[in-house]
Amino acid sequence: MRAKELMFKFWVILSGIIITVITFGLFLYILYKGIGVVTPEFIIGSPKGIPLGTQGGVFPAIMGSILSGLISGILGGVLGLCTAIYLNYYCKNEIIRKYILNALQCLAGIPSVVIGLFGYTFLVVGLGISKSLLSASITLTVMIIPFISIRMKKALEETSKEQYISSLSLGIPKGYTIVKLIIPSAFKYIMTSLGLGTVFAMGATAPIMYTGVVIVSGVPGKLTDPFMALPYHLYILVNEGLSVEMAYGTAFVLIVIVLFINIACHFTGKNEDV
Amino acid sequence: MIIRTEDLSVYYGYKNILKDVNVTFEKNKITAIIGPSGCGKTTFLKSLNRTIEEYGGKTEGNIYLNNEDIMNIPVQKLRNRIGMVFQTPVVFPFSIYKNMTYAPIYYGERNSQKLKETALKYLKIAGLYEEVKGDLDMQATKLSGGQQQRLVIARCLTVNPEVILLDEPCSALDIKNTANIESMLLELKKDYTIIIVTHNLAQAKRIADYVIYMEDGTVVEMGKTDDIFDCPLDSRTKEYITYMKN
Repeated sequence: MRAKELMFKFWVILSGIIITVITFGLFLYILYKGIGVVTPEFIIGSPKGIPLGTQGGVFPAIMGSILSGLISGILGGVLGLCTAIYLNYYCKNEIIRKYILNALQCLAGIPSVVIGLFGYTFLVVGLGISKSLLSASITLTVMIIPFISIRMKKALEETSKEQYISSLSLGIPKGYTIVKLIIPSAFKYIMTSLGLGTVFAMGATAPIMYTGVVIVSGVPGKLTDPFMALPYHLYILVNEGLSVEMAYGTAFVLIVIVLFINIACHFTGKNEDV
Repeated sequence: MIIRTEDLSVYYGYKNILKDVNVTFEKNKITAIIGPSGCGKTTFLKSLNRTIEEYGGKTEGNIYLNNEDIMNIPVQKLRNRIGMVFQTPVVFPFSIYKNMTYAPIYYGERNSQKLKETALKYLKIAGLYEEVKGDLDMQATKLSGGQQQRLVIARCLTVNPEVILLDEPCSALDIKNTANIESMLLELKKDYTIIIVTHNLAQAKRIADYVIYMEDGTVVEMGKTDDIFDCPLDSRTKEYITYMKN
């Protein structure tokens, strides 16, 4: 019995170590391989060289990724938060609640390439919106909604039901209670969910391949412009055999942006004065 | 008489928690509800301002507030008139001052001077002002349990209710804090009607004017405190009181 206990403890600790080593190893490896390429010219320049992308920089891709991530993060955040509020505070019917939760689970399970195909068929072909920042952002929003909704639902549950009911007991309606008490109380968790959703969207390639991203373009000036994105640029650099070094540089930039957004969301939540 | 119930029953799903409760609560008096755990005291309390509905409970029968059926009063207005304080002190994760101005701001008070006056007035009534007067911007969660409970009562008073429901407000407090709350309640009854659920029979005896004894979701007996404690009419009441005394 004691041997089994020790084996279990050993395996649990080993699993933790493996995950930590993989995570930090991956980060450090990409940072190590990419740092040599990352210069000011790489950050603020456009792709150059023949074939295109073997020289120059990734500025349009940085801006494209940030813009598509932010738009889908905002859209997904609003929809996700409202869905979470509905599920936690307004949905009285248990069947409807389960149906919505199951729908979110199903949506979360759909491969991103299928969501991309749906976005292309519905937005680009069906509604006639061109391959653009808008189409891609909406498609990314569909992808991250279940991810954000479930996390925001849990975030709102962090606030005790007693607080919610104490506010109602003062004769204060649900809406005011949610806006003035529940959301500020769960702000840190909400921001963290939003940050994770945004970086999830920024890292996705498949949903934007059919809906808005192109190999080369400038910084999108309006929502209907096509755009470059870091993950797709990385995919092209490797897939077409253009430059593995530049691909690592691109991955480096993407990881730094992702880390920055995560840290910013964490501290935004932490500093919120409630 | 300020509140009267008529054949009040409460259900959680198909489970009948309260059965045909008929009681009255006198104005500006303290009524204590006592009884063994699980007898429906808290459920009864929660049904008086329809908080029970937030827990999925359903009521049958009638509850009258000043002879007006509470189902005819908009639920927010009802909860404004019948405030509630829970067993565990539930302070909002704001500063002490923001806890005190949370409800007045909702009710439209924007004048910062008036908000401050309201906050200080009720902190004083709750006997908390002297302890926190220099720290109104401090997070309320940093107060002690007894202070938090008094803050919650003070916050409840900011909406000027007619009735205050208290669900075992001292169960997590020490003797000193319990004494503070009890003396505050004795002061408050001059202006408010107080209904308190308590397991502490000594507390009921000390502060209550009337006592209701409940068992298995029904009211066994109600009457003046001395009558219930000294010469209960029902043998079940007598048994419970004797058991708890020992």
